Amino acid sequence: MRLLVVEDDRTIREFLTRAVTEAGFRVDACGRGDEAESQALEGVHDAMIIDLTLPDMDGLDLIHRLRSQGVTAPVLILSARRSVDERVLGLERGGDDYLTKPFAVAEVVARLRALLRRSTPNQPEATRLRVADLELDLIRREAHRGGAELQLTQQEFALLEYLCRNAGRVVTRSMVLDHVWKMRFDTSTNIVDVHIHRLRNKVDRDSDRPLIRTMRGVGYVLKD
Amino acid sequence: MFSRIRRRISGSLYRTAAWRLALRSTIVFAASSALVFLMMYGLVARTIRERSDSWLIGESETLKQVALTTPKDAVYGRIVGEVAELATQEFAFDSHDDDAANTVFFYENGEGAEPPLWVSPSVGPSAKAAIIASLRSSNVPERSAVSMPVPGWRMPFRVVSVHVSPGTGRIYLGLQDTAARIMLTRLLLGFFIGWIAMVLFGFLTAVLSLRGTLKRIDAVTTAAANIGTGDLSSRVAFADKPNDEIARLTRTFNTMLDRISASVNQLRSLTDSVAHDMKSPITSVRGSLEAALSTDDANLSRELVARAVESLDRLSEIVTTSLDVAEAEAGALRLRREPSDLADLIRRVAELYAPAFSERRQTLTTIADKPVQAMLDQRFLVRLLSNLLENELRYAGEGAKILVILSEANGHAQIRVRDDGPGFPAGLLDQVFQRFAKGDTSEGHGLGLAFVRAVALAHGGRAWVRNLDTGGVEIGVEFPAPGSAPEPLSPVTDTLPAHPPNTPVPEPGNDVIVTSS
Repeated sequence: MRLLVVEDDRTIREFLTRAVTEAGFRVDACGRGDEAESQALEGVHDAMIIDLTLPDMDGLDLIHRLRSQGVTAPVLILSARRSVDERVLGLERGGDDYLTKPFAVAEVVARLRALLRRSTPNQPEATRLRVADLELDLIRREAHRGGAELQLTQQEFALLEYLCRNAGRVVTRSMVLDHVWKMRFDTSTNIVDVHIHRLRNKVDRDSDRPLIRTMRGVGYVLKD
Repeated sequence: MFSRIRRRISGSLYRTAAWRLALRSTIVFAASSALVFLMMYGLVARTIRERSDSWLIGESETLKQVALTTPKDAVYGRIVGEVAELATQEFAFDSHDDDAANTVFFYENGEGAEPPLWVSPSVGPSAKAAIIASLRSSNVPERSAVSMPVPGWRMPFRVVSVHVSPGTGRIYLGLQDTAARIMLTRLLLGFFIGWIAMVLFGFLTAVLSLRGTLKRIDAVTTAAANIGTGDLSSRVAFADKPNDEIARLTRTFNTMLDRISASVNQLRSLTDSVAHDMKSPITSVRGSLEAALSTDDANLSRELVARAVESLDRLSEIVTTSLDVAEAEAGALRLRREPSDLADLIRRVAELYAPAFSERRQTLTTIADKPVQAMLDQRFLVRLLSNLLENELRYAGEGAKILVILSEANGHAQIRVRDDGPGFPAGLLDQVFQRFAKGDTSEGHGLGLAFVRAVALAHGGRAWVRNLDTGGVEIGVEFPAPGSAPEPLSPVTDTLPAHPPNTPVPEPGNDVIVTSS
């Protein structure tokens, strides 16, 4: 997977580049709209991260120019503007995504992956998920840990399913709210912690191998 | 700029509006009063002349009779003279003052009447000759008076003539009405002096009263100039009476200044609070990172960095929310309204928060049976609801019963959140919706309820808070829900029911009830 990162702030560009490289992407990075345009037109990128405020043009104009020239790779928009512009929301409906600064790097990577999944045509949907000795039956909505059935509420099952689908990857609180409860909070709330705490009590209490881990300051990860 | 204004205020009187206004009105007043005086003078002068003219005509008739009936002998002249003198004495304006004595002449030409000219008071022969010469050179009509200048006299004579008999000579009677003239001159002088005095007095009065009035406006200017230089405490001193335009201006101005200084103070305390609220997280970020840099313990370092990130999250939430609130209060919040069912939103948020309430052994009950449609920005509504619930989590206290009621009436949807907790301290009640208002024991940043109200206002609704008679507090928000048919408000009593009607009694261990249709 090859990415184009367009961000004029050098510090942000560098840590973004490092983060997505670590996540296994090949990265091209630039800080200007015209450079970005010529690089994107090569058509070799699977996705793009574009900051809205570029020194030589508006990020949205760049996206529209690329779209009008046949570049279809999905875009993750980074915006320092607080109230999210109607036009950005329009792009979101068109299949792209946005993040407002400040953002968690984990969320950038997660949203990138989601964008790429969306743009790749139908993969066969799994009916069972397995992480270590944790097993989820998505059809019967049942969860087993080490052979014993876990008594989970619907909410808890949905949360555990989301963590399992992203096993090994960090998910942030707002990603959890967005995907499990379908609520997009632009500010943080620690309500997710309460749910994780309850879920952990059911999933990890009787096991000496805790699966749900808290990444302080970032979010949670389910891994063996 | 403001010092220049002050200099102008204390500057020359001639440049003031009072001076200009007074001058303008005085000029108009002077011109019109002069016109009136002149008209009066003209009227008096005409009346006096008409009177002396009619005397002249009447007297000339008398003299004509005397001339016709008196034989032209040696005493003729004397008789005529006496008659003329008697007539002169009848003349009303005759004065005892010698300077003001009237001059009358009588002249008869033809038939060698002697003396042909009689003048009172008597004058020298050269003056007589001048009169006769003037008479001969001018054409005096019969029975009407004309003015006739005579060399040697300052004023012209009014002269009438009458034919004594056809073919014979004429009688001329002339009058120089010095007394009347002097009276008219005095009148004119009196008028003039009176006019000057009136105009001056009027001008002075106008300048002084206008100056007094406009000084009050200057006071407003001075206060404004002080405000401009940063002194917000400056106010215009004013008396309640007279309750005129300027008093009203002053009052309005002072009220405006009160408001401005109130909002500036609010802004100041807001910035102070923001700065204060941001300084703590910034300090802790800095401290944590510094410690992480100086430790060799990888685990400790990781923990410190995590703490720094958490502080930064808190910092960014303060910034985002306070900007949201400020924008909403300024009416600049960008809303993405879409048809939304408030009952559904409330249920979803309540479900999300249910575990948190049960951990605090609080009971959360929602009464939101019927769908209530409204055009709302769901992102903001979800945050509004979560702020309301988090507020309850923080302040309602352990074991509190919390009730969320959705109702709809008259095109408005109401969400009321009630608890049986301690309620707000009386002092805090009227400022809970203000940014950074928080109780002494509060751990929040004081933005939650400010955000609630701001979102309600941005949607054209309102928010309120009140302590319930039964203890506890109600926080309510209202939104226009025009899509719904008006129906009577479902009765909700002020007392908090242990279990609302139509709600299942909570089972043990399941202390959160979410009712749904």
